[in-house]
Amino acid sequence: MTNINGKTYAMNAITPMKAFYTPILQLIFFLLGHIKAGQADLVNLSFIHFARWVVVKRHKFPRLSDSQPEEQLHYDYLLFFSNFNGSWNQYIDAFADVLSSGLNLIWRWSVRYPGARPVTDFKRYIALVQFDTDYYYVAYPRAAANDVKAAFRVNDALEDFARASKDMTPAEFGGTYLKFVTQVQGDLGATGIGPVGA
Amino acid sequence: MPNQSGNVYGLTILSPIINGAAGDISHDCAIRDYLAGLPRDHRSLFAKVSSTHLARLVVMDDVVFVGTPAREEHLQSKYLVFETNFDGDLDTYLERMAREAPEEVNAVWQHCVGYPGVKDPAAFAAYMKKCQIETTYFFADVNNKTVQQTLRALKVQSGVAHFIEVNQGKSPSEIQAAFRQFLEKVRHAPEPLAGEYEGHPHLPARGEGASQRTDPLAEESEGHHG
Repeated sequence: MTNINGKTYAMNAITPMKAFYTPILQLIFFLLGHIKAGQADLVNLSFIHFARWVVVKRHKFPRLSDSQPEEQLHYDYLLFFSNFNGSWNQYIDAFADVLSSGLNLIWRWSVRYPGARPVTDFKRYIALVQFDTDYYYVAYPRAAANDVKAAFRVNDALEDFARASKDMTPAEFGGTYLKFVTQVQGDLGATGIGPVGA
Repeated sequence: MPNQSGNVYGLTILSPIINGAAGDISHDCAIRDYLAGLPRDHRSLFAKVSSTHLARLVVMDDVVFVGTPAREEHLQSKYLVFETNFDGDLDTYLERMAREAPEEVNAVWQHCVGYPGVKDPAAFAAYMKKCQIETTYFFADVNNKTVQQTLRALKVQSGVAHFIEVNQGKSPSEIQAAFRQFLEKVRHAPEPLAGEYEGHPHLPARGEGASQRTDPLAEESEGHHG
């Protein structure tokens, strides 16, 4: 079991849904995908590299051979996969604090979902429906989502500064360099492996 | 298309695992056993398939019973969940897996129903697509940068921090000369390795000055990682 690689945690969760709710949830996701404002909180949280929800209908589990027994399921299932920075508790707390209405909109169709608040019941539910990762790879394990964004800001600023300072005198260069340093100083935190469990 | 956000593709695959035993242990245990020993750093199979941002493999034993009044039910097969986030298109990615990490792919998916092997990458891609579940909603925080662009940006960021630190207090003409050299170094730095885990801390050891620290860009140019 290995839910953590460097600064990133891999969460998997599966929840049962009554099949007649599935089209409603699919419509909600369709709207969420087309209304940018609906994603604003997710973007602003800025500790999730990638996340996805996947609905598996009860008759749609892959069956590749007649010898493979056919699934006999009553429920459709909602799978959730997230790649986030920080600890499990921080993640659930932040989700429940900032996105409670969004979470409720997504998971209220799942059986016995208690709501995102109060958080104790919500955490109990997530712990029940979560299953562990067996292998987890991250191309940039030392960097959180914020580190990635900061790195691109530094790179853009460096390119601008390099272009602008190309033919400057040393005196002109000195002043422009100070402005460059001031601009990027907030984005120069060292990356590295987070503390254990984070 | 819900599988895609910007340039990043979110692939979800559920491969049914063969019921029964693979020698002394069951097929699902054989997968877990193999995955437990697989490197997760720059030697990973996904580092070989270098367009992979983040990927996971999970043996899903069963669905979850959430308590009464829900109905208790169970899967007839266990499933290998493959969740990956990568640059580019699906067919190219799957065929790259077969071509560039055949040993690892074979070791994992040989325990799954209907696995055709990796000799024919197109057949492998077709098999994987039969196991694909369309993503209902996919979120990617940064969706317009490739893995290599990201790794390079992080390396340059470290280089800038180091440059500023070691040039503190110098005259503008000295900094300007050093900056020209720095830009050359940035331009000629080799591609950073994906999945590198250990890295080199850029914070000083106790009693160590900034000038004694290793330049992150110089590490690469010295071929540290081969």
